[in-house]
Amino acid sequence: MRFPSLKPTRETLVAMAMLLPSLVFLATFTYWPILRSIYFSFHDVMLGSNKIFYLGWENYERVLHDSLFWKSFRNTAFYTLITIPMSLVCALLLAVALDSKIRGIALYRSAFFYPVMIPSVAAGMVWVFLYAPGYGPINGMMDALGLPKLEWLYSSTWALPAIIVMSIWKYSGYFMLILLAALQLVPRDLYEAARLDGVSGWHQLIHITIPLISPTIYFVIIIGILHSYQIFDYVYVMTQGGPADATNVLTLYIYQNAFQYQDIGFASTVANMLLLFIGGLIAVIALTIGRRVHYLGR
Amino acid sequence: MIQSYFRRYGMHLILIPTALLWLSPLIWILVTSVKTRIEVFDPSSGLLPHVFIWDNYPAAMAVAPFGTYMLNSFLVTGSILTGQIITISLAAYAFARLQFPCKNLIFGLFLLQIMFPIYAIFLTNFLTIRELGLLNSLPAMIVPFIASGYGTFMLRQAFRQVPTELGDAARLDGCGHFATLWYIYLPLVRPTLIAFGIISVVTHWNDYMWPLLVTNSESVRTLPIGLGLLAKSDSGADWTRLMAATVIVVSPLMMLFVIFQRRFVDSFMHAGLK
Repeated sequence: MRFPSLKPTRETLVAMAMLLPSLVFLATFTYWPILRSIYFSFHDVMLGSNKIFYLGWENYERVLHDSLFWKSFRNTAFYTLITIPMSLVCALLLAVALDSKIRGIALYRSAFFYPVMIPSVAAGMVWVFLYAPGYGPINGMMDALGLPKLEWLYSSTWALPAIIVMSIWKYSGYFMLILLAALQLVPRDLYEAARLDGVSGWHQLIHITIPLISPTIYFVIIIGILHSYQIFDYVYVMTQGGPADATNVLTLYIYQNAFQYQDIGFASTVANMLLLFIGGLIAVIALTIGRRVHYLGR
Repeated sequence: MIQSYFRRYGMHLILIPTALLWLSPLIWILVTSVKTRIEVFDPSSGLLPHVFIWDNYPAAMAVAPFGTYMLNSFLVTGSILTGQIITISLAAYAFARLQFPCKNLIFGLFLLQIMFPIYAIFLTNFLTIRELGLLNSLPAMIVPFIASGYGTFMLRQAFRQVPTELGDAARLDGCGHFATLWYIYLPLVRPTLIAFGIISVVTHWNDYMWPLLVTNSESVRTLPIGLGLLAKSDSGADWTRLMAATVIVVSPLMMLFVIFQRRFVDSFMHAGLK
């Protein structure tokens, strides 16, 4: 039996040299902050002070009994778990509609995709205007349709759904493009065969199209989860977490604890809960949907 | 007869209203930017302005230094992209073509950054930037994004498609790994580089949260931050000027998008495919 020599080969040295630039930045801005966040969560640390006291699990006990934490946790979960499926459904319907030889496909594609190009702050601002209770066009339309006018961003019931609607507008086009790329790779004769067997319309979509593009749907869900961090921008611009914390989310709650109350230890604890939530959500999706993904010919 | 007619045009009956619905916020921005303030608050004045008022644009330009903001946005986005291209090409080549110990583990560490981006760990990153003395400077907005797990992943997939014979031939001719990467691999994966570049530029040009945290003076602000500030100081009082400012902020990317539409669409379309 031969043992690998301990002296690194030339190839290993070249590889290390090539990985070094990335690893320096990853270590500084990804690994170190995560480790530090875990360390801080067990301590009493204040912003702008050098004193650190060991607290043990105290911050975690505090977080679990903090009703505002749970409220922002619920809002984050609600936002993520509603926005992603709704955008996915919109995107899928649009992609299927555009996956044919209809005229003006480039125009349609741009019309649905352009919101991705708009900065979140600009998008948030414009929708504040659209949702304005007095003179906003959305209430104008509701009025014209005979529906009751709503307070939208000023109502603790409707503020978060209003932000969700805006997010669906902003991301469906992006998801649509990714799904469209997958649809164009589905062999046309499969649809033909299905049609001859009398399968069409909804049945074709559910039993043939969706299973065939399931790896891409899985990818879109993961991208959606990663984009959900952007809720901070919308909430910061549109509602500042209000009214009465109805739109407070974990990232904003971390921000408030760190920069308004200067409590780095507690803010780090909330940040770790956010990492756990996102990590856990991705793990659950990988184990459920990821397992069922159907890879065509692979 | 009717059925085939529907099949041909029916899709448009659904798509045209949906597309208009999607476009309505953009139309609203454009229309409001040429209205008067009185018309904005008067629901009976209709969608279109009575007369087109162009004064809102110079007014927006005068109220904040949009030239400085645009230059800063340009410098930040350009530096991030340049840095990323360097780090991801090197790392992706190592992962695609070299053998070394703990390869999968290190690759996993790169992917960790996709799951936990700066936005998830902004607090401790803010402290790091402060300790480095970079707060309120352009580098503060650049350095956290230089390494990219996503870019490394994308480029590694592209490098794997390059026939190994090409690289081997170059190596036999006496090219080192760095020369092989530069002369053989990078030119061959140009479409992937462009796709990554477009996604990176769109992301960082539009970024709001991170620049908001690390800047607090006029001279280093980027376009989205400037727009956010203007919105705050106006507090909904002057929508016409604010919408004109929005048009100014949104137009550079929108213009690129209109000119290079195919490239943009292809980049985002194929970002998900391996």
